[in-house]
Amino acid sequence: MVTPPDPPPPPKASQHARPPFWRNEVILKWVVQVAFLTAFVWLFWIVVTQATANLRATGISFSWDFLREPPGIKLSEGFNTDPATSLEALAAGMVNMLRITWSGIIVATLLGTLIGVSRLSSNWIVSRIANGYIEFFRNIPLLVQIFFWQAIIISAFPDLTAERAGAGWIIPSPKGIAIPWLIPQAGRWQYMALIIAGAVIARLVYRRRIDLQESEGRETHAMAWGVSVLVLFLAAGWFIHPVMGVLGWLFSALAWTMGAAPVLVFQILLAAAAIWAAFHYIKGYLDRRRTPAGMAKMTDEDYFRLSLVGVVGLAAALLFISGTGDTLLSHVLGRTPFFNMNWGLEPLFDFLASRFDFSGGSPLRFTRPEVVVPTRFAQYSQEVGKAFSPGYLSIWTGVTLYTTAFIAELVRAGIMAVPKGQSEASQALGMRRGRRMRLVVLPQAFRIILPPLGSQYLNLAKNTSLGIAVAYAEIVQVGQTIFNQTGQALAVFLIWMGFFAAVSLILSAVVNYYNRKMKLVER
Amino acid sequence: MTADATKTAGTPAIICENVGKWFGDFAALRGVSCTIEHGEVVVVIGPSGSGKSTFIRCINHLENHQQGRIVVDGIELTNDLRNIDAIRREVGMVFQQFNLFPHLTVLGNITLAPIWVRNQTRTQAEETAMSLLERVGIPEQANKYPGQLSGGQQQRVAIARALAMNPKIMLFDEPTSALDPEMIKEVLDVIKELARSDMTTIVVSHEMGFAREVADRVMFFDYGSIVEEGTPEHFFTNPQNERTKLFLSQIL
Repeated sequence: MVTPPDPPPPPKASQHARPPFWRNEVILKWVVQVAFLTAFVWLFWIVVTQATANLRATGISFSWDFLREPPGIKLSEGFNTDPATSLEALAAGMVNMLRITWSGIIVATLLGTLIGVSRLSSNWIVSRIANGYIEFFRNIPLLVQIFFWQAIIISAFPDLTAERAGAGWIIPSPKGIAIPWLIPQAGRWQYMALIIAGAVIARLVYRRRIDLQESEGRETHAMAWGVSVLVLFLAAGWFIHPVMGVLGWLFSALAWTMGAAPVLVFQILLAAAAIWAAFHYIKGYLDRRRTPAGMAKMTDEDYFRLSLVGVVGLAAALLFISGTGDTLLSHVLGRTPFFNMNWGLEPLFDFLASRFDFSGGSPLRFTRPEVVVPTRFAQYSQEVGKAFSPGYLSIWTGVTLYTTAFIAELVRAGIMAVPKGQSEASQALGMRRGRRMRLVVLPQAFRIILPPLGSQYLNLAKNTSLGIAVAYAEIVQVGQTIFNQTGQALAVFLIWMGFFAAVSLILSAVVNYYNRKMKLVER
Repeated sequence: MTADATKTAGTPAIICENVGKWFGDFAALRGVSCTIEHGEVVVVIGPSGSGKSTFIRCINHLENHQQGRIVVDGIELTNDLRNIDAIRREVGMVFQQFNLFPHLTVLGNITLAPIWVRNQTRTQAEETAMSLLERVGIPEQANKYPGQLSGGQQQRVAIARALAMNPKIMLFDEPTSALDPEMIKEVLDVIKELARSDMTTIVVSHEMGFAREVADRVMFFDYGSIVEEGTPEHFFTNPQNERTKLFLSQIL
């Protein structure tokens, strides 16, 4: 079958007679775009200035200064329980929020998949139990569930008294639950670096074995090879991790460079980066439409987008190079910014350099939890084991089990949405259940599950803000305490929104990346 | 790719004895008995809901028959997984809705089972796949995805996919019913070529012209049993059963 070649598209300009501009669709589209952008910026400006004026009228002038002042609070838990400034307090709150989010997402995904698949099981008891779980957890408000877990922890466990002093394995009490824990020791950064290197190498080996299997058609035990390499690194790294101390030299060299280089270097680098990014974007955009037909397909939206990127890129470069980046920022802040143009990279590399120091010994130490009685009151030892607070436990259990129920339904829906014919076709080709699932059903189910799964991750991340109900020191709880004391409600709100938006955007970026990779090619 | 080499001496390709199948209270098959010889081309026709599809789906155990015996190439179809696997190795199937794997390329679709079930090397499987694509007339589509092909091309890929497992018996379940009229011919041509190559073939079809041209035997199903069977000559010109006559008068 021979198809005749496509006729070339007509040149753009000669398509029609030129209409008057108020009826010209092309011009109108541009006008609308620019008008919308202007209106948006103008509206934003009005809201900000108005809010600032209102605040000033109430005697509280909007300022970020409180961030550098002592918060006047201690946090119940976190990496920094006695912060010197409000900024540190908020940072500790953010980390506490992230602690729940990342572990919650992992557990909810695994548990949700398990329960979703069980729900489809032909085993009656298994599927009923899974169904009961889903119905129970998704039909009760999350806040009620969180209070429920808190009530259980507070009322169901025996008090922590002096009689219970000493070590144990799992020690529950109204003050939380303590469990055995691996305490990181001096060499942990070196060990970690070695494990990351091991994971990369294990992945390479795995890919290599898979390629080999496909090209030579024999079982190459790719998974076993990959896991063995990783285990080898885990085991050998335990003893040889000091070799990674050489990274310390690298980091101190970098820190020295950062410290020695004049600010101008960073300005030039940033400006160059801005121009390069804009140029790269535009070039890539045009490259994908290099053919004459492709160029003809460029819409005004495309031209608008390209111009916008170009203008923003240039503006950013100018801002950086003229040093007005600094002055503009100081104008907004009302003072010189507390970070320099080198973005605190020097302290970061200094910090890293001090962690890679050839120190030997076990990178991790296994410890059992212990109840100690330093004063009249018994408490969990801070040195050994790991104690989870009632707040942490109730919010973590609450959001994780709640999200699990929704993820389970997604997994079930995804598997059921793969047409039965897919399974039948693979059966007819002689594939057994395991292969059928792995090679045919799951790749297609995953593609269906992924976008709504991303939304569930976002829900989990945002629901952690309910930690305020059980006095868990996450960002919302810490922020509220701070704005109650300083009156800087707007500033704290902006920080909250910025933080949650950043977390959500990062999560959806990751999910979207996989989504694009999994997308089916259609006509 | 001829069936001669793999013929098992003496045993027919398929033996069905009193096969029964119910969906709930509905009897889809009511005691179907037949014997199909190696190399024979059987076209199964009948009104919709008459059990034609259920019948051929029982042959490779996509449906579980509840009564009677099915013996494929000397292997009895039981609940023994080993027997089911063995029979599925002998039997290829093509579906009405193609059922290609949308996440794999044409080549990926055809080589998936040879690589993972037959443990062939990728190069070997791809060579076979390319020669099969030549055979069905679309080698240039090898690296496209099913979503990018026309219905007729998709069905031809599905045929190549089934043939890649080197089956002795091919089952076609209404292979042209989901196709536009101008694509029916390209698929039927492939099936005809296959039927002439001595492959044992069972086709459920509404294409009477096709049945007349290639069938060694035509089976007419109604209400879950074989009402009449015979050569196309006999079947189309001199049907004996009233229901067959009625059916033919309605469609011809």
